[in-house]
Amino acid sequence: MGHTSLEKIIALQKKPSNIRNICILAHVDHGETEYLVNLIDSPGHVDFSSEVSTAVRLCDGAIVVVDAVEGVCPQTQVVLRQAWLENIRPLLVINKMDRLIVELKLSPLEAYTHLQKILEQVNAVTGTLFASKVLEERAAKDTEEQQPAPGEQVYDWSAGLEETDDSHLYFSPDQGNVAFASAIDGWGFSIRMFAQIYSQKMGIRSELFLKTLWGDFYLNAKAKKIMKGAQSKGKKPLFVQLVLDNIWSLYDAVVTRRDKEKVDKMVTSLGIKVMARDLRHADPKVLLSAICSQWLPLSQTVLSMVCEKLPAPTDIAAERVEALMSVGARRFDSLPEETQQLKKAFLECASEDEAPVIIFVSKMFAVDSRALPENKQRPLTQEELSQRRELARQRHAERQAANQSSESTETAIGGSAKASVEGPRREHFVAFARVYSGVARRGRKVFVLGPKYDPALATLPRGCFPDDAPPSVPHMASCTLERLYLLMGRELEELDEVPAGNVLGIGGMEEFILKSATISTSAACPPFTPLNFEATPIVRVAIEPKHPSEMQKLVQGMRLLNQADPCAEVLIQESGEHVLLTAGEVHLQRCLDDLRERFARIEISVSEPIVPFRETVIRPPKVDMVNEELGRQQKVAVARQAREEQSRYPEGVQVDPSGLVVLTTPNKLATLGVRALPLPDEATRLLEGNAELIRTMEQFNLMAREGRTMEISPKTLEAVRSFRAELASHLQGRRWRDAVDRIWAFGPRRCGPNLLLNSLEGYCRPSVWQCLEAPQGGAGPATPLTLRDLDSSVVSGFQLAALAGPMCEEPLMGVCFAVESWEVRPASRPDRQELGSAARAEEEAEAPAAGGGPGRRRGDAAGSGGGDCYGPLSGQLIAATKEACRYAFQAKSQRLMAAMYTCEIMATAEVLGRVYGVLSKREGRVLSEEMKEGTDMFIITAVLPVAESFGFADEIRKRTSGLASPQLVFSHWEVIPSDPFWVPTTEEEYLHFGEKADSANQALKYVNAVRRRKGLYVEEKLVEHAEKQRTLSKNK
Amino acid sequence: MSIFTPTNQIRLTNVAVVRMKKGGKRFEIACYKNKVMSWRSGAEKDLDEVLQTHTVFTNVSKGQVAKKDDLSKSFGTDDLTDICKQILAKGELQVSDKERQTQLEQMFRDIATIVAEKCVNPETKRPYTVSLIERAMKDIHYSVKANKSTKQQALDVIRQLKESIQIQRAHMRLRFVLPAKDGKRLKEKLRPLLKVVESEDFDEQLEMVCLIDPGCFRELDELIRCETKGKGSVEVLSLKDVEEGDERLE
Repeated sequence: MGHTSLEKIIALQKKPSNIRNICILAHVDHGETEYLVNLIDSPGHVDFSSEVSTAVRLCDGAIVVVDAVEGVCPQTQVVLRQAWLENIRPLLVINKMDRLIVELKLSPLEAYTHLQKILEQVNAVTGTLFASKVLEERAAKDTEEQQPAPGEQVYDWSAGLEETDDSHLYFSPDQGNVAFASAIDGWGFSIRMFAQIYSQKMGIRSELFLKTLWGDFYLNAKAKKIMKGAQSKGKKPLFVQLVLDNIWSLYDAVVTRRDKEKVDKMVTSLGIKVMARDLRHADPKVLLSAICSQWLPLSQTVLSMVCEKLPAPTDIAAERVEALMSVGARRFDSLPEETQQLKKAFLECASEDEAPVIIFVSKMFAVDSRALPENKQRPLTQEELSQRRELARQRHAERQAANQSSESTETAIGGSAKASVEGPRREHFVAFARVYSGVARRGRKVFVLGPKYDPALATLPRGCFPDDAPPSVPHMASCTLERLYLLMGRELEELDEVPAGNVLGIGGMEEFILKSATISTSAACPPFTPLNFEATPIVRVAIEPKHPSEMQKLVQGMRLLNQADPCAEVLIQESGEHVLLTAGEVHLQRCLDDLRERFARIEISVSEPIVPFRETVIRPPKVDMVNEELGRQQKVAVARQAREEQSRYPEGVQVDPSGLVVLTTPNKLATLGVRALPLPDEATRLLEGNAELIRTMEQFNLMAREGRTMEISPKTLEAVRSFRAELASHLQGRRWRDAVDRIWAFGPRRCGPNLLLNSLEGYCRPSVWQCLEAPQGGAGPATPLTLRDLDSSVVSGFQLAALAGPMCEEPLMGVCFAVESWEVRPASRPDRQELGSAARAEEEAEAPAAGGGPGRRRGDAAGSGGGDCYGPLSGQLIAATKEACRYAFQAKSQRLMAAMYTCEIMATAEVLGRVYGVLSKREGRVLSEEMKEGTDMFIITAVLPVAESFGFADEIRKRTSGLASPQLVFSHWEVIPSDPFWVPTTEEEYLHFGEKADSANQALKYVNAVRRRKGLYVEEKLVEHAEKQRTLSKNK
Repeated sequence: MSIFTPTNQIRLTNVAVVRMKKGGKRFEIACYKNKVMSWRSGAEKDLDEVLQTHTVFTNVSKGQVAKKDDLSKSFGTDDLTDICKQILAKGELQVSDKERQTQLEQMFRDIATIVAEKCVNPETKRPYTVSLIERAMKDIHYSVKANKSTKQQALDVIRQLKESIQIQRAHMRLRFVLPAKDGKRLKEKLRPLLKVVESEDFDEQLEMVCLIDPGCFRELDELIRCETKGKGSVEVLSLKDVEEGDERLE
């Protein structure tokens, strides 16, 4: 086919019944690429299963290649499943038959049983797919019916499997959908070929041979009859006798014994001619392939099988069309009438001009501009040359303007001939597509429909054509088909038109299509169902340019990569990290190479993404680390520890044993008492989930403070009311009495999952629930004015404290700070001390609203005397509140919270153990494990700390040889049970852990890692053992 | 060296000397290298891992031990361990290379963290990562000064980084309300301090929402407070004007 001329192909394209769109699917190394047939070829590695998806979509049939020795491998199962999901018909090729003969040295009979086994395996996979589908349908039907009559509890064990005919699904040589091949030696056959040969020789009908050549049949030589029951009678099955024996003897003669005479005899009996040069060749393989390629030519076998067994585009199955056209859960019947009519066009696959054009683009791939046919081997005209030079100059100028300082390594333009001839190297995107109906013609106006387009929503007048001005419908654009290509391996040939049923490349669509799209002349055309990706992107890495100035290029490159790769995802995180998600480690490597060499063309560095943590406090634990109850009598070291702890706090801070922290500002004007309390889990979750609502409330309160009102919709008010009620129901008990009404602020950022509680007596301030209450005149009467003015400073301090906890400066979560005392003494005399503290306040100059706190400063010089003293006092109070909160936090049992992924793993029974191993190694916890109905797959649900997830997917795949594939989704925050600052205190703990407790402390490990990353002080010894240092002499 | 001759000397290796002057006398103790700072920060709790010997010297390298009289006169006690602890806590010492190196490294990272927290990429309004800032700091060959606060140095670094990468301090979003008569006059004075004016509402009073450089906040606050004699008000809407949430690149 490589020599077919372009004209011939164009002529062939016009006859849809003579077209076969097929693809080759295989496990890695099963020899899928050794063919010379011009098809859509797809890579076999797990990571690239997205490529398989894109290929499968455009095809009507597929050739599944299986290694004759290894049999069914994980990836074979995956591709079979994909072919099944896309409703395309598979053919099976059992490749590498020569290995059975040469490597394993099986006898023909053994080989036969081996092949039978492989077929059984493949059919078993298809069978489970079929069974699970039937069961699913049945379950759907059951739920629809849903009227279990109590008397009729007859359970139907057949489960409907028997009722549904599935014989056409299975692979069987007598069905003609299996071929045996050895691509390396260039031979392959299907039963049909041998049936033809022998029916002529022996005078038995070829139909009969077709039926009996595979299976438990033998030839009764005397009676010249084919009998059943070869196994029981100890006879050779027909397949062995007529097929395998011949091949084996050929191999024996040519490769093993190199018997010249016998070879000659065989060659003549086969009626083929072998060149003398091949006969004399030293390498028997040459001779072998010379003989085989004439006797059992592989390409012909496969081609004839493809032509006979796989459907032409005209025979597209109605149910496949429906499946393609109905998006998501929508049923085909529910689509608009006009859309349903398009189905006819699909089925006809007509190439008339009137037929609506329907094209599906399954992926975009990047092509170097030099590889495009219009840029190739064509001398540029003078005009074009100058145009290009101009373009290049412009681009160069832009680039220089963009990064003046960075030295541009690009060739200087300055009239150098080289740069202008080469032209700007750019990536062009070519859409990989198939015409389902109509003719794709150059210059035709079409609609480009994004995956989210809905024909029902587009209220276009009937018969609206894309020639009209583009209507503004979401996910829809109109454009002109500009360049059509014939895809020939790496080569592209330019075409003027492509009729229905063909695969093609479309250039110039990068602005309209991101990854996949449907192109049509009819606005009623629904977008095709999204591709089924077997692999979802789970491997996350953070990417940075080596030179910080090249950020722009990196972003641009990542955009291109996203477009070019169906399975890669890129995003910028709030932290500013550029994250790339890929399907696996191999896929990642390719994406990075693409980024480096094609899309961004810069040096990049890849790192583990930053993992967030949260800090919280919990109720003091009842048991110690060795599960002994904590009693007073056991605490050996408590006294010592308490003394140490006291020394941790600086002057001006008093901490009582119950956790109340009293702190005075440096100028001794204000005193604050704060206590930290753990919030109940449910309350924390509630607060976290209602951040938006809290933000609205805060906005309202802010307005209210200025004496204005904000309109809030009744729906929001209702939501606030129920939120308040729910919060109240979670905050039960003596400690939380009317806590809800005493809430002072939420934090951090005014809407987070932490509370500031007003536990002061006699201090009234506007409630956070103001929006619920009728506006009332005058605030609480007894409130001292100074306190009200400093209200916002306390809130700001709290916001600061909640934003960065004392453990590793990560935000707090589920902590409630109750302010239990607050006094402000009016400054009677201009205290000298104020000056000293002013310097300190200076430092906090920027703090007033750090963390988004409402650092409201009223300009009135009231409050404390003097214009300048006011600022410092509020600033000091912010700092004091922050410090008080932090000490209060530290006075309780502090814990770290880790972000957790839920992880769903599908695995077969045999690798279950290893899956558990990997999970437990990474601190994962299995939640449930159940068997998927109708298959031998287990579904394991587990939770796993995000911090441990780097490389998890890859590890689990490696350990289970790809049989288990995890799916990671962020689920929740979880408290890490161990105390990061824990040291043994009780006698038992001393016995168990020793004085230093050297055993690894998970929480401490995380805390130190974060602190080290942030450049905070890490309590670590520079040198562990003083005596074990290297003695440093003068000449080291 | 043919015959091993016993000496009554204990030779110390890896010595770090901590000195202290008290009561007009100089006292020294012999410690291990790289350990004194750990002791002072509280990471090392075992005194024997810090002290080579519980002896107080007048000169460590000469092996001259301090006299008991001098010790009790200067320290008021003759408990050597106690005196050693005092000297350890307050004495002066030569910081060893390793200690200095880790300290500088830590400061370097601290500076980078502060810069990353305060700044954004003006194009995307998103922060840079710490590691990127660190690399940029290395590119401009920034050297950390051990005796300047990290915050101060961070501000310095931002200025220098502006020359090599696109970086600016995250803007503060402010809203201020000025009385009508001051409004017109003040607006012109405020104008140079504002980076972006997002909304302006002038009826009874002037109300503006704007973005400013955080460095100008004090100046602006001062201006409004003094000029309006307490009638105007400033409110910080957000400290950092950055994009929130993850964004998908498409």
